[in-house]
Amino acid sequence: MTAPRIKNKALRRFLRNPGTVVGSVLTILLVLVALLAPVIAGDPLLQNLPERLRPPSGQHLLGTDQLGRDVWARVVHGSRISLRIGLTVTGIALVLGGLVGLLAGILGGLVDEIAMRITDIFFAFPALILAMAIAGALGPSLVNLMIAVAAVSWPYYARLIRAQVLSLKALDFVDASRALGAGRWRQAMRHVLPNALTPLLVQASFDVGGAILTAAGLGFIGFGAQPPTPEWGAVVSETRSFIIEAPWASSAPAIAILLTVLAFNLLGDGLRDVLDPRGRRRG
Amino acid sequence: MSLKRIATLAVALVISVVTAFGAAQSARQTTLVIGGDWGDLITLDPGVSYEFSSTTILDNIYERLVKFDGADLSAVVPGLAESWEIAARDGGGNSITFHLRDATFSTGRPVKASDVVYSFQRPILIESPSSFLFTDVVGMDLESVVAVDDKTVRLDLPEGVNASIVLNLLTFTTGGVMDQAEVEQHYEDGDYGQGWLNDHSAGSGPYLLERWDRSSQVVLVTNPTYSDPGPITRVIMRHMPESNAQRTALESGEIDIAWDYTPEAFQAAEAAGVLKTYRTDTFQMSYLGMNSGPGAPFEDNRVRDAVRYAVDQQGIIDNLLLGLGRPMQTIVPAGLMGADTTIYYERNVAKAKELLAEAGVPNLSVEFLISTGACGGGVPCADLAAKIQSDLAEAGITATIKQTTGGELYTIYRAQAAQLVMAAWSPDYPDPDGNATPLSSFPAGSIAWRNVWDNAEAAELASEAAATVDVAARQALYAQLNHLVATEGPYSMLYQPSKPIVTSAKVLGFERSAGGDVEFDRISKLP
Amino acid sequence: MLGFLLRRLGSLVFVVWGVGLATFFISQVVPTDPAAAALGNNARPAQIAAYREKRGLDKPAWQQYLLYMQALAKGDLGKSLRTQRPILNDLKDFFPATFELTLGAMLFALLFGIPAGILAAVKQDRPLDLGVRTLALIGGATPVYWLAILALLLFHSKLGWLPGPGRLDAFLLAPPRVTGILTLDALLAGDWEVLVDALRHLLLPAAVLGAFSTALVARMVRSAMLEVLSQDFVRTAKAKGLPESTVVLKHALRNAALPVLTVLGSLLGGLLTGAVLTETIFSWPGLGSYATASATALDFPAVMGVTLIAGLAYSVINLLVDVMYAVFDPRIAYS
Repeated sequence: MTAPRIKNKALRRFLRNPGTVVGSVLTILLVLVALLAPVIAGDPLLQNLPERLRPPSGQHLLGTDQLGRDVWARVVHGSRISLRIGLTVTGIALVLGGLVGLLAGILGGLVDEIAMRITDIFFAFPALILAMAIAGALGPSLVNLMIAVAAVSWPYYARLIRAQVLSLKALDFVDASRALGAGRWRQAMRHVLPNALTPLLVQASFDVGGAILTAAGLGFIGFGAQPPTPEWGAVVSETRSFIIEAPWASSAPAIAILLTVLAFNLLGDGLRDVLDPRGRRRG
Repeated sequence: MSLKRIATLAVALVISVVTAFGAAQSARQTTLVIGGDWGDLITLDPGVSYEFSSTTILDNIYERLVKFDGADLSAVVPGLAESWEIAARDGGGNSITFHLRDATFSTGRPVKASDVVYSFQRPILIESPSSFLFTDVVGMDLESVVAVDDKTVRLDLPEGVNASIVLNLLTFTTGGVMDQAEVEQHYEDGDYGQGWLNDHSAGSGPYLLERWDRSSQVVLVTNPTYSDPGPITRVIMRHMPESNAQRTALESGEIDIAWDYTPEAFQAAEAAGVLKTYRTDTFQMSYLGMNSGPGAPFEDNRVRDAVRYAVDQQGIIDNLLLGLGRPMQTIVPAGLMGADTTIYYERNVAKAKELLAEAGVPNLSVEFLISTGACGGGVPCADLAAKIQSDLAEAGITATIKQTTGGELYTIYRAQAAQLVMAAWSPDYPDPDGNATPLSSFPAGSIAWRNVWDNAEAAELASEAAATVDVAARQALYAQLNHLVATEGPYSMLYQPSKPIVTSAKVLGFERSAGGDVEFDRISKLP
Repeated sequence: MLGFLLRRLGSLVFVVWGVGLATFFISQVVPTDPAAAALGNNARPAQIAAYREKRGLDKPAWQQYLLYMQALAKGDLGKSLRTQRPILNDLKDFFPATFELTLGAMLFALLFGIPAGILAAVKQDRPLDLGVRTLALIGGATPVYWLAILALLLFHSKLGWLPGPGRLDAFLLAPPRVTGILTLDALLAGDWEVLVDALRHLLLPAAVLGAFSTALVARMVRSAMLEVLSQDFVRTAKAKGLPESTVVLKHALRNAALPVLTVLGSLLGGLLTGAVLTETIFSWPGLGSYATASATALDFPAVMGVTLIAGLAYSVINLLVDVMYAVFDPRIAYS
């Protein structure tokens, strides 16, 4: 059996890279924080006006904001929203882009041509402006925010999957299974998907971070969650006019965004190293 | 150029970029730079303008027949008209005859009565957003304004229109007089010169419009034909949407006046004492509008009362506004005739709960519509809404905040489709009728209508008060109306804000009226 | 080569058309009435109806689209609902500011990203490399608006080294507008003082906006250099006894330039996106502020104008990159 050995090797490679370790630790921490939010932090909406804009203290780890709300609680609860945004957006983009890519790659011809030109169009769109237009049209809300960000992320997956399909089409084993009479879709499911999984996973990991960053940017300019929802981008935005009096209130969520995006980027790097050794050098 | 020379120049450039390099000092003393969020600016045509920032700008370019003396809003004083008399007309109603003083437009042409006629007819012809002031509020039409001779204009008013309201109204930007001959040369596709007036001006005021760089700045320069120019020859209104940016720019001397300080920053500036701080009055009112129509959540006045008891007015003023506002619960704000500063509702959560239970809605749930940006007094609307949301929650009302841009908010509000809305109202001219009719008369189609509050008594009181000339009798009517709308109306008033403005210590003579006017030609700067 | 160019130009037109169509499609699902939004607080139903008719907003979507395309064919982008001006005029006003900012950011990214990438590659896995990589990672994860706020606070408020928001000191008179690019206009007018002040104003926003790209460029250059440095001809050159700096700069860098070229296009896309946020903080009157204000006001004709010009810019840059690629790398055949 060679599998465990490879796995160990992969794991060793993964653990040898300090970046990946930091990335995984941060990601695990983030997930834990999100899961345990109600346990480790208080009510993110609870106001206490007389205690507004207080600096960090034993009582308020990260101080309070302009309504006397606990910044720590808002950041911790915000992690749930950001994580949800990142995962949902990437999920939608993956499924949508994957389907388009699969269709384009397998059917080829005109379908392929049309699908690829559509992705061209989406690439040419300035992402934030497209997302702004969509969020503006649908009205600001968390769901519309996710739709908007997904709309700018899916074409990458379409390209990726299509490329995988094409490269695998050229390989022998697909031909072999065709000879055995397997249908086109079954081939796709059997062979293409598992092989495409590696680059997909890597891309998805980067994208969770990217989606969180884009969503926070939209939230910052007011196209996101409704107040008083503690979405990180929105929190940075609503506390920024107090940055001189209370730098903690806007810095804490900004640093949270930074760490989260960093975690997923490091994780993506690490996954690529482990799963796709050919691409190791690029990083 | 030799390579060496290029290199020397490049080095010199880098050095100058890195080391501070003072801008032209000579221009500083006569140039006034105002940093503010002028994001609401959409036109610089006085006949079309209906926004706060354009009002401030245009009143320095276009003279009105009458105006107020600085911040003193107690009586109108001569503007373009050096005198006027009010007389009864044959068919009923009054007419006002204005006698124009000698004045010259920045274009060099003299101001004539025909220009006034043109300027008053033009908004009506354009059907501009502000034209309702002429047509609906004082019942003017195209025939109402007549040039008697070159220096005399007569304004014929329909019966029941109070001439003193008309005079107050004519101080508003829409009454600005422009050079007909000039503007008519610049019509484009029948736009009455609207496009041209955004980049040029044709007024007789102390300044003329030099340029409007969209989203960047509006530049005014002294009108060379103006008889009594002020020491400031150039006014630059710099668009700075971030209040922090205004603050740092003022502290570093890049601007002279900051328009949008947050209450925190204002308090800090007051304490530091380096800059000049002004708490300027406004006639603005921040309020909650409650949809009182049949089947709407606030149809029952007990529910409306519950909201009025639940909102923590004093807490908002003390903690969010940091004192930049005063409590108010009626529809005529302090500073106007007939103002009523009675506090009808002290905060009482238990009472609110009781009223909700009586009304059969102990767990009311509503959508709470708010705008983006800053609300009265410089408080971010989102913060104010979050505070109100938590106040209402204590009484058992769940208000789900829906924050939209101003445009979208008004689309919903205007369609009577808002449940609970946080909005602001400011009269266009300093007269109680500027508030009373829109806020209490359902048939007037304004705020009372938007909140579906159809109260015949209130509408009747408002129109009677508007037509009453005798001051004491008018005040008595407003006292009745104030009480009625405060206790039964569709509003929970929040506060009457002050507008915090901070200037550098060098700026002298700054004054802002409660109506929002700043006369730039009265300002000067120390070297 | 000519065939390739023609094909690429065809696809460019198609892409830009598609960008417009997509925006138009979005504009049709807006629930609020742009006419009501444009007319402000006090508009009456009759006025709104008249406005809708005048602007063709009452027509069915396909007719509106045909009208739009007809006008576009004549180079008319329509009128903005918010500013009431021809959108082309608005774009002429706002585009140069964004172009200047983006160019500044790009220069910043190349100026710092390339040396950082080279140094990191040469000193692979040494502290310097780790430092560059860490910075690059952080640069790629920092929310640009927060960076902007911090930079302004530090370099403008606290240290007073650089001027605050805006493009030019208010007390200075802008040079006559030729290109709209302030530094260039100042140069053309020979106005040294304005040039210096404009550059000082540009420095901070360009650096903030360029931070993300700097990170990207540094990463790309590093990995490309590593690839090249391990190749035979470099080793040969080293073996021949050439100094390391010569080897790196002459042989390796030239070969590492190509992959950097490929990211230039996407870099630009990212810069335009970042410009939206950076311009907000720095009161920079550019396309980003214009787009935000337009989207907020549901001014879709204006948004459409912005997306068209941004799509066009993106496509043109990518076309140029491809052409440069063809010129520099003869291995690629264009048939």
